[in-house]
Amino acid sequence: MIQLIKLEYKSFFRSATLGGKIAAKIFMWLSYIYIFFMTIGLAFVHGSGGAAFIKQEADVENPFLLLNSNMLFYIFAFWVVGRYFGQATPIINMKPLLLLRIKRDKIIRFSLNKTIFSFFNLISILYLLVFSLTIYSPEKFDLTQLIFWNLSMYLILYITNFLNIYLNKKDRVVIVLGVILAIVYALDFFQIFSFNPISEWIFYMFYEDKILVIIPLIILAFTYYRVIQFFKNNFFIDTGLRKKVMEAKQDNLDFLNRFGDMSTFLRNDFRLIKRSKRARTTALMSLLFILYGLIFLGTQDLLGDTMLFFGYLFSTGGFIFTFCALVPSWDSQHYPFMMCQNIKYVDYIKSKWYLGSFGVIIATIIALPIYGFFGSYHLIAVLSCGLFNLGVNSYLTLWAGAFTKVKIDLNSFKNAMGNSKAFNSKTLLLTLPQMVLPLVLYWAVSTFFGHTIGCVSVGSIGILGILFKDLVLNIIIKTYKIEKYSTISAYKETN
Amino acid sequence: MIKIRNITKTYSKETVLKIDYLDINSGQTFGLVGNNGAGKTTLFSALLDLIKPTTGEVLINGINVRTSEDWKSFTSAFLDESFLISYLMPEEYFYFVGELRNFSKKQVDEFLKQFEDLFNGEILGGKKFIRDLSKGNQKKVGIVAALIGDPEVIILDEPFANLDPTTQIRLKKIIKTLSQKVGVTVLVSSHDLQDVTEVSDRIVLLEKGLVIKDIKKTKKTLQDLETYFNKE
Repeated sequence: MIQLIKLEYKSFFRSATLGGKIAAKIFMWLSYIYIFFMTIGLAFVHGSGGAAFIKQEADVENPFLLLNSNMLFYIFAFWVVGRYFGQATPIINMKPLLLLRIKRDKIIRFSLNKTIFSFFNLISILYLLVFSLTIYSPEKFDLTQLIFWNLSMYLILYITNFLNIYLNKKDRVVIVLGVILAIVYALDFFQIFSFNPISEWIFYMFYEDKILVIIPLIILAFTYYRVIQFFKNNFFIDTGLRKKVMEAKQDNLDFLNRFGDMSTFLRNDFRLIKRSKRARTTALMSLLFILYGLIFLGTQDLLGDTMLFFGYLFSTGGFIFTFCALVPSWDSQHYPFMMCQNIKYVDYIKSKWYLGSFGVIIATIIALPIYGFFGSYHLIAVLSCGLFNLGVNSYLTLWAGAFTKVKIDLNSFKNAMGNSKAFNSKTLLLTLPQMVLPLVLYWAVSTFFGHTIGCVSVGSIGILGILFKDLVLNIIIKTYKIEKYSTISAYKETN
Repeated sequence: MIKIRNITKTYSKETVLKIDYLDINSGQTFGLVGNNGAGKTTLFSALLDLIKPTTGEVLINGINVRTSEDWKSFTSAFLDESFLISYLMPEEYFYFVGELRNFSKKQVDEFLKQFEDLFNGEILGGKKFIRDLSKGNQKKVGIVAALIGDPEVIILDEPFANLDPTTQIRLKKIIKTLSQKVGVTVLVSSHDLQDVTEVSDRIVLLEKGLVIKDIKKTKKTLQDLETYFNKE
């Protein structure tokens, strides 16, 4: 056991991430600390009845009952589904150990037990603990009963922990759970049916009756046993440890042919999005961005028109800010190949511009009816933001891409969120001028000449950008040519 | 076909490549041998403009590879797995390369027929992406793709490594056939002296970035090379 801990220690301190990417690590720890204090704060607010106050529901004065009545939802939402996205199976990096003289059982137990101390679990326990401490007063609660209620909750938490490790291989189960969860939430939100009384009844029982702690204990023991059995039977190089292989299917992308020469590249980029989890997640995230403007709808009185304009810039440009910010990194694994093929560098870059434009146009087409519904004021704003993203921001992103030089491992197991490099500080920095420029322009013009002229001025700069496409791309390609060699060598580095 | 003039590559004072003068004629099959770190891959990378040489220039068919991109239309290469697009199926990858070289799908299909033996039924028509193929099969895909579209210069780095014996023999046959074609220049590097002498008609031995031997292949070449590497 000690040796295994030592190995873990070394793998952490000798990892390449520690050497070069300390900033990412610090960022991670800062967010851990942030979450740590937020959890304490949240638990305290909930415990002291703040939630009931905010909700202004007079009948739920007792925060303990409130928590119990929401427990069912939390457990599924946070503990089962949330964990699925945030936590990777611990077994995967155990491959080299299989050949050593360590008992198979020991390796499995170790990697499973390690998850007991995962951040996710500790933070949940912390919440329950702080919450219990806050609500406790001798008149209202029985201490031993409360302790036993806590114990039961911890045990349930760990049931979900091991259940999740077991489920990690089964995407469908999680999707089904997620859908059920959304339905339950919707039913409750629209006040059709509430599961809260059932939830309250179930979880309050654990407080009323100490002996019930036995139930989660037994279930936990059983789950733990099952998971161990599962890995014992599957813990071989050829089965459990092998990465999942997606079955390849021919796809029909003939509709892209109308883009002429560019279709050759667009087809590949579409396939990338379809077949690489990392790229798919990023592209889907950009779709969510379309709804970003909704946040600022109706806040004009409070925040002013410019903030709404800001929202629309994101709505139409989500694809550029997320996906295209990592161009040409998406091709990092075969960049040398691209550099040797029978294509002009500028054509290759142009194809990437088309890809970005595609994203902007689609987002604008989707966003127009959504926001246009609220009137022509919004219609014009969305349209001008779309044009600006198309004619200016697409180039800026592409230009910055020459400096990004982040290698993306398309075949990695990690979730998009699990990989700290998905958040590149440089690309984030670049969104600043991309936002500030049109905002300042819009703000200045609209203050004097009104909203419509403001939008027109921003939009016409976009149109200018589109008209001078070849000229701008020829400038961008110069940077790419200078950076070419260091980009190739940066993509070669293994991390 | 290829002219190398005063090429050096220096990484923080350490010179890894220094070739003053090297001409490779059209139609030649050029074998590059040397130990690890001899500079074989560096030389090939410089030919393909993947690294920027510290000094000197490379001309392919009179075109300076650093200033013009025209050499790309008749040059192809397979250096390592970074020449593969992992998320494509082998067919899609071949069609992609074909399209770039103005080969229609039909032409590519026709072209691939001659490699049925080499593919051994494991590459085409399968349900796998390139990323899920074995290392050996990936290599086959990369090498065959480099031959699509009648390139005049073909650069292959360590084509024989990681391949099973049957495939090695088949690949050697393919390279020999290529070299008999008029005007096709093939550059091959290898650790394996026997493989490389078998296919090449000229051998250059690199050692720490320098050209140590530059010989026309004769019956004695393999023996010579073995003696050279033995004494070290």
